[in-house]
Amino acid sequence: MVLALLALIIACFTIFTFGKEETVDFSADVKPILNKHCIACHGGVKKNGGLSFLFENEAFAKAESGKPAIIRGDAEHSEFMKRLVSDDPELRMPYNAPKLNDDEIDILKKWIDQGAKWGKHWAYTLPDDVEVPKPFSLAGLFGIKPKGVNNNIDYFVQAKLKSKDLSFSDEADKSTLLRRLYLDLIGIPPTLDEISAFIEDDSDDAYSRRVDSLLASSKYGEKWASWWLDMARYADTKGYEKDGSRSIWSYRDWVIKALNKDMPYDEFTVEQLAGDLLPQPTKDQFIATAFHRNTMNNDEGGTDSEEFRMAAVLDRLNTSYQVWLSTTFECVQCHSHTYDPFKFEEYYKSLAFFNNTRDEDTQGDHPKLRFYTAQDEKRVDSIKHWLAVNGDGNAVKSADLFLHTLEPKIHAHYSDQIVNGALYDTKWLGVRSSGSARLKAIALDGKRQLFMNFWTDAVGGKMEVHLNKPNGPLLANIDLPKTSGRQVIQAAIAPTSGVHDLFLVFKNPAVAAGQPICMIEWFAFREDFPIGKPVENLNLQRTFLQLVNLQPESVPIMIENPKDMHRKTNVFIRGNRLSLGAEVQPMVPESLNEFPKGAPRNRMGFAQWIVSKENPLTARTLVNRVWAQLFGRGLVEPLGDMGTQSIPPIHRELLDYMALDLMNGKKWSMKKLVREIVLSGTYKQASTLNGDKAEKDPQNYYLARGPRFRLSAEQIRDQALAVSGLLSNKMYGPSVMPYQPDGVWMTVYSGESWVKSEGEDQYRRGIYTFLKRTSPYPSFVSFDASSREVCLVDRIRTNTPLQALATLNDPVYLEAAKHLGNIMLQEGKGNTKKSISAGYRRAMLKEADPRKIADLEALYKKALLEFNKAPASAAKYLGSDLAKENTKTISSKAAYMLVANALLNLDEFLTKS
Amino acid sequence: MKDLNKLIEEAQQSELKAVTRRHFLKDCVAGIGGIALGSLLASCGGWGTSGSKGNLDLNALNPLIPKSPHFPGKAKSVIYLHMAGAPSQLELFDYKPALQKLHNQPCPQSLLAGKKFAFIRGVPKMLGPQATFKQYGESGAWVSDHLPHFSQVVDDVSFLKAVHTDQFNHGPAQLFMHTGSARLGRPSIGSWVTYGLGSENSNLPGFVVLTSGGKTPDAGKSVWGSGFLPSVYQGVQCRSKGDPVLYIADPEGMDRDMKRNLIDAINNVNKTEYDTFKDPETLSRIAQYEMAYKMQVAVPEVMNINNEPAYIHELYGTEPGKESFANNCLLARKLVEQGVRFVQLFDWGWDSHGTNAADSIDLGFRNKCREIDRPMTALILDLKQRGLLEDTLVVWGGEFGRTPMQENRDNSDMPFLGRDHHTDAYTIWMAGGGIRNGISYGQTDDIGFAGVEGRASVHDVHATMLHLLGFDHEKFTYDFQGRPFRLTDVEGELIQAII
Repeated sequence: MVLALLALIIACFTIFTFGKEETVDFSADVKPILNKHCIACHGGVKKNGGLSFLFENEAFAKAESGKPAIIRGDAEHSEFMKRLVSDDPELRMPYNAPKLNDDEIDILKKWIDQGAKWGKHWAYTLPDDVEVPKPFSLAGLFGIKPKGVNNNIDYFVQAKLKSKDLSFSDEADKSTLLRRLYLDLIGIPPTLDEISAFIEDDSDDAYSRRVDSLLASSKYGEKWASWWLDMARYADTKGYEKDGSRSIWSYRDWVIKALNKDMPYDEFTVEQLAGDLLPQPTKDQFIATAFHRNTMNNDEGGTDSEEFRMAAVLDRLNTSYQVWLSTTFECVQCHSHTYDPFKFEEYYKSLAFFNNTRDEDTQGDHPKLRFYTAQDEKRVDSIKHWLAVNGDGNAVKSADLFLHTLEPKIHAHYSDQIVNGALYDTKWLGVRSSGSARLKAIALDGKRQLFMNFWTDAVGGKMEVHLNKPNGPLLANIDLPKTSGRQVIQAAIAPTSGVHDLFLVFKNPAVAAGQPICMIEWFAFREDFPIGKPVENLNLQRTFLQLVNLQPESVPIMIENPKDMHRKTNVFIRGNRLSLGAEVQPMVPESLNEFPKGAPRNRMGFAQWIVSKENPLTARTLVNRVWAQLFGRGLVEPLGDMGTQSIPPIHRELLDYMALDLMNGKKWSMKKLVREIVLSGTYKQASTLNGDKAEKDPQNYYLARGPRFRLSAEQIRDQALAVSGLLSNKMYGPSVMPYQPDGVWMTVYSGESWVKSEGEDQYRRGIYTFLKRTSPYPSFVSFDASSREVCLVDRIRTNTPLQALATLNDPVYLEAAKHLGNIMLQEGKGNTKKSISAGYRRAMLKEADPRKIADLEALYKKALLEFNKAPASAAKYLGSDLAKENTKTISSKAAYMLVANALLNLDEFLTKS
Repeated sequence: MKDLNKLIEEAQQSELKAVTRRHFLKDCVAGIGGIALGSLLASCGGWGTSGSKGNLDLNALNPLIPKSPHFPGKAKSVIYLHMAGAPSQLELFDYKPALQKLHNQPCPQSLLAGKKFAFIRGVPKMLGPQATFKQYGESGAWVSDHLPHFSQVVDDVSFLKAVHTDQFNHGPAQLFMHTGSARLGRPSIGSWVTYGLGSENSNLPGFVVLTSGGKTPDAGKSVWGSGFLPSVYQGVQCRSKGDPVLYIADPEGMDRDMKRNLIDAINNVNKTEYDTFKDPETLSRIAQYEMAYKMQVAVPEVMNINNEPAYIHELYGTEPGKESFANNCLLARKLVEQGVRFVQLFDWGWDSHGTNAADSIDLGFRNKCREIDRPMTALILDLKQRGLLEDTLVVWGGEFGRTPMQENRDNSDMPFLGRDHHTDAYTIWMAGGGIRNGISYGQTDDIGFAGVEGRASVHDVHATMLHLLGFDHEKFTYDFQGRPFRLTDVEGELIQAII
């Protein structure tokens, strides 16, 4: 009765809506036509005839003809419409292209007649609330959910399935489901014991308890970090020609830890974008900012540091928009965005947020956070304590910053007007005797000490510091001692006020005329220690210099420029950094949410804007990408572009619902987000492609079955090591170098080489494998891992013969096969079938189809026969000594190793199903 | 159990039915003639839900299946000889007697104003040509005495004398030369071509890279990377030492029969798996394992030059077992003969700054020329005698040129003669594959500083190469992150004079 009534109401409603003329929706109906046919010539790049359809004001403005093309409410008199239907090929638009079809013309006509209302694309506005489409059912009143429905996600999916006359698949069998869950949450499969315990566990919360314990596992962070590190373009080298090592693994560890402790995504974001600008940042908050120090650094001789500093800054901007907002902002570097509502100048306004950090593409990768030993850290504290008592807060802050980061400093490449000297290798200042160099516009108020990092083989050198000109007033005459390697010296300079050019004049009669007196890496002008007790002052200054001269472990981080080093940001005309346009101030694009009131106009403000609940893209982007990790594809495609060029998503309401709930209900908890998805019935479905569903929806856009796709490069390796019992659980620390064939690294200039790690470090999880950008770990490359040179939001999954060669022949997989083979031999206790079933079970975590066992058994028998005939081959294959074992054991072991090799290559092993 | 071919056919039939829904069709294929790549790339990019215009190829399980370009191209394959480090055009092809007269004189300020160099500082001196030049052949091309062999084939070659770039550091300039962008992340030209045309031999990689000179190029493996294209299109480095392709050799103790058994067992189990899940990816995996097995034989075979006749070794100056440019030239011919689409050679050691004897223009450079002269000449002759030259495009060049000034690194005199990096003018030659014979296009000024006529940009070179292969470079695109990308970005014009 109720249902019948409901049907009647729906029917009436339907008739009513169709009774009146449909309202044309700009975003859904009109904008796609404009983008497809018009915007290439009338958009962000070209504005032919002075007309553009990118922004509302442009579309309705007067074109070159002096008249607006579109008259709201009057299609008949709009030039726009006339041109679409004109018979004159010179006038008819689109020019030199087929006429629009009747439907398209009709939509545009209706749109204009209905007032030509402009609208925002769905991606740029976020609804306040999304209703969960729970169908009415009596059973629902008693809390009974329909088949396949476990939580709200499923109601959304179910509604779409119905529209396609599809329905949920059955839940995957328990072992398949648990394997899927383990691979998704911690990246490695469960053990057989864990599988059987789950199968035997009949309790209602059997599954959810496992979800919770996996989310609490420290392996969770190791699994999800590789997703984030692709976006962060994390690597162990600097990139470009020299591609030398970069010690930045503490950032990788930070990501693992942050994910493991479920740092809310807003905090996670702010710390990485602007951790250094938090009040009194902790060590970890500094490390987080290494996110944007993963940009490449060009150490090639003859490179202009400013060119590559700017390349890094542009990369940070583009990466930030890509990672957090799914926006292809790099398009706006040269011109207004062709499709999305971002203006050319807005690119540079956003750039201004990022253009004031201390890093300058130096070979030393400065600035870096220095990790002192506990003992040295105490010495830092004693200095800070003394300064707090005898000086002021600023002195403490300044000393703290300098001791931990050596900032702010001036790099040698800043020097100019070099006479009789050069910037050696375009990096280091070297001036020959009586030559000079200028340091331009140095703020000298309160600066009484010069710190300088330099090196020389000669004794007796001097560096004079002159004010304003090479023979101007002498501020200091500094002795340059012979050094062993690089050394920082400290010298007093005469008090001077204001901003001045300084000229450095070098002398050393002992050095040959053509040779530089010394090489200099950087300078720092610093305030004096406060006048206090003279002896203590002297001792502490000595300690200060000793600490500065230590070379502790360190990590590149972000440090903002102090006021006197502030950089201006200008528009680059046509995107060329050498052709400067108007100066701009930091601001975010108008078409997105407003910049938060009262937020500082720096990276911190930018980060706050990103995580503002008003931002329409941040939460959606995260939801979409987490979804893609689990389902193999996002709810919106492509993952890199949520805007007018993305495909209209089938599940937009679900995306919006989850995005809003992430911010409000879940308080940005990533683990809660993952938890909700893996608890959904949608996720738990079997992934079999059976006839009807496969035909209606072969790509599974409607989600009538569970996810099934090939594992990632790291997962494939980790899984092989795990099932063969080789995988190390060791966490964190410097990256490791597992076996790699000789001759893979043949880089120019750097003397670095791949040195195979010892002991368990060979069997660490893939996330800890050393990643050299110009030559990444070969088998990872075959399986589509990123070389991490630029931000990557979506790994393409390919299926190639080189992948087969890697898992068939790479010694890592052979070693895993050998161990798995031994386990099989032991478990079968002489029964071949048993051994093979045991091996299959251990790898696939389920019972095998008898046909599969038969195929593998046949392989074993053939191999055994051959190995028995040629025991020497068997020993070689096993890598064992023929003399030490009996021939039969060796043949049998070798044959099991071969079967294990097959197991590790099976489609079902390489696939999450 | 059904046999493999039947299974594959069946899967393809079911895909045919579903074809209008397969997003990869529009995505990966539009613009290159509408032939599908098959299930291998079901995730390549991932947008566009309907309206595909493809006719599915029944052999679609191989992503390198030969495909038709926009129009019939004159070239079918490419051999690209890159001299990493950038050889001096002024000692090879760009003869400048006027520069000789200015030798040792300070460079006029007018040439230096507004210019940036990698290492030249202050006022350098001019450096006259360190070679003797003569004209050769009917075309009368100028070639120096560094290339006595090559001077005999100039009528088969066309020169671009005024190529220019905008990058004066090796890494970015090599990237620009090979990917059309000085920044990382774009596909290399070899990847574009393999993506567009597939490859004729499914037992070999479609895009092979060979290096000599002891080092990989400055820009690393990105110069043969696939960027945002699927990784199946990236260059596969074949090596002279160790496995020719990583992991291609069977482990010790395993013979071919046993490997065959292993592959059969894997594929049989996978067939059973397919029966259950009906996932086309499984079928694709079966096909990949078959290809891997064949590749294990085909690659070592083609990489083995021991069995070449003596006259061929004589022609190229090859010595089996050595890593050399000569061996690589011979391998390039063999690979192209076997249907490989794109063979990329890098020869390292051309950065003649004059900081030591090996990288000086008067000593080391001569030796480098000697290493390439005979083999690259042999390559042209050999391709020609086999009838392969007409559809094989051979390209030779560096990533930029060298200055007419002598380098004065760190503003001081240098122990040896050298030239700094130079972006304004350098020479590239091309042969075969639809290139006209004996043309010299473009001219530099009297001292070889800049092009004054017939200048060609890197994008122009790319556009011309793609044209010869049958592609309109403006329409040969790949959608990535919401917009179509081209090898030539938004530039590039055909160099009509040489085609």
